[in-house]
Amino acid sequence: MNCTQWQAQLSAYCDNESSLLQRHRLEGHLRACSACATIHKELRAEQALRRAALPYFDAPAQLHARIHDLLDKSANAPAPPSGTATRARWTWLAGGALGGCAATLVALATHTAWVDWRAHEDVIVEAVAEHVQAQQGQRLIEVESSDQHTVKPWLSARLDYAPPVRDFAAAGFALAGARIDMLHGQRVATLVYHYRRHVIDVYVRPEPVPVLGAPRTVRGFHAVQVSAADMNWLLVSDASVDVLADFAAQLASR
Amino acid sequence: MAAHARFRELVLPHLDAGYNLARWLARDVNDAQDIVQDACLRALRYIDALQGRDARAWFLTIVRHAFYDWRQRNHAPLADDGADPIEEMVDPTALDPETAALQQEQAHALVAAVARLPLPFREVLLLRELEDLSYKEIARVVEAPVGTVMSRLARARALLRASTTPPAKTRAARSEETP
Repeated sequence: MNCTQWQAQLSAYCDNESSLLQRHRLEGHLRACSACATIHKELRAEQALRRAALPYFDAPAQLHARIHDLLDKSANAPAPPSGTATRARWTWLAGGALGGCAATLVALATHTAWVDWRAHEDVIVEAVAEHVQAQQGQRLIEVESSDQHTVKPWLSARLDYAPPVRDFAAAGFALAGARIDMLHGQRVATLVYHYRRHVIDVYVRPEPVPVLGAPRTVRGFHAVQVSAADMNWLLVSDASVDVLADFAAQLASR
Repeated sequence: MAAHARFRELVLPHLDAGYNLARWLARDVNDAQDIVQDACLRALRYIDALQGRDARAWFLTIVRHAFYDWRQRNHAPLADDGADPIEEMVDPTALDPETAALQQEQAHALVAAVARLPLPFREVLLLRELEDLSYKEIARVVEAPVGTVMSRLARARALLRASTTPPAKTRAARSEETP
C-alpha cells in the first residue's frame, strides 16, 4: 500500500469506524511514516475545529408552534404524552446477569432471566422517557454547577446513597449539574453532562450485581450501561454510541 | 389518537435535529421551516411504519426526502455553487461560545466552505460532525451503502481541506470539485 491509500483510510479512522484489522495496520503505518502521521494530526484538528465552529441550528419557537398547530388541527383530541414511569415492582435489577457473557446467555433461557431482562429493558425505556421529558421541559437541571463539591452534597441530601460525582471537562464531558429522577419508583441521581452540543444524562444507582447489556437505541436515543464498584451508570443521549461507551468507561474508572 | 401520541413521543424530540439538517441543506430559515413542516406531516402519516428504536434516523430520512422534493418543486439552482449569501446563513446567536475563541474569519471561512459543499458531501458531513450519527445510521438516512458514506466523508473532508487551506487554494479546490 502506498501513502495515498493509507491516507484514504484516515477519515474513517478518525471517526472510529475502521475495522479492528484496518486500525491495527494503519496505526503501524502511522508510527513508521511521519508524512501520514502529520496528515492524521491535521485531520483530527480540522474535525475538532468544524465541531466547534459549525453552528447547530435549533428549531425556532415559530416552528415548534407550527408543528403543535398542525397536530392540534389534525386531531380533535390531542393525545396526552405517554407516560411509562409508574412501575413500582422494580428492585435494582434483581440478580439478572450472572457475571460473564456465557452465563448470561444461558440464564437468558430461563424464566427468571427473562423477567430480569424485561426489567432491564424497562429501566432503559424509562430512562429515555425521563431524558426526553427533561429536554422538553424546564426540569433539565435542578442544581446547576460544574463543581462536584456542590453537586454531590446536593444529591446525597436527597437520596439514601452517595453517588460519585466527577467533572470530565478535560475529556470533553463537562459537568453541568444534576437532578433527581424516578426510575422504577426509585429516586435516582441524574448527572447532567454536556458533550459538544449533546446533553448526556447519567443515571447513577447503587448496583451490587454488575449489569451486562449491549448499547441500545430507544426512540432515537442511545443508552449505554456500565457497572463498577457497586454502582451502575446508565447513560442516555443522542450522542453516538462510541462516544457514550468511551464516557462510560471513564465514569467507571477509578 | 395513537398516531399523534407516537409522533409526540418519537418524532418531536428530534425536531431540532430535523431542522438543523434542513437548514444546512436548504440554507434558508424559512425554507427549512417549510421543509420540516412537510416532513412532520409525512412522519405523522407513516408513523406506524416506524420502529421505535431508530426514530432519529427515520425522521432525518424523511426530512432529507422532503428537502429534495422541495428542491425539485422550486427549481432550485442547478449547482450549489456558493452563490448564496453565506453571511445570512450564519446566525451569530447559534454559534458556540468556543467559537468566540476562534478566529472569526477562520470560522466564517469554514462555515462558508461547508455551505458550498455539493449536497452529497454536505449531508454526510453534517450528519457526522453535527449529528454524530454512525456510518450505519448515515447510510440509512442517505440511503446509500456504508462504503459510499465512508468515501463521501473522506472526500468531503478533502474538499474542505482544499478550499480552506490558503496555499495552492484555487487550483486544488477546482480540480477536486470536478466530479
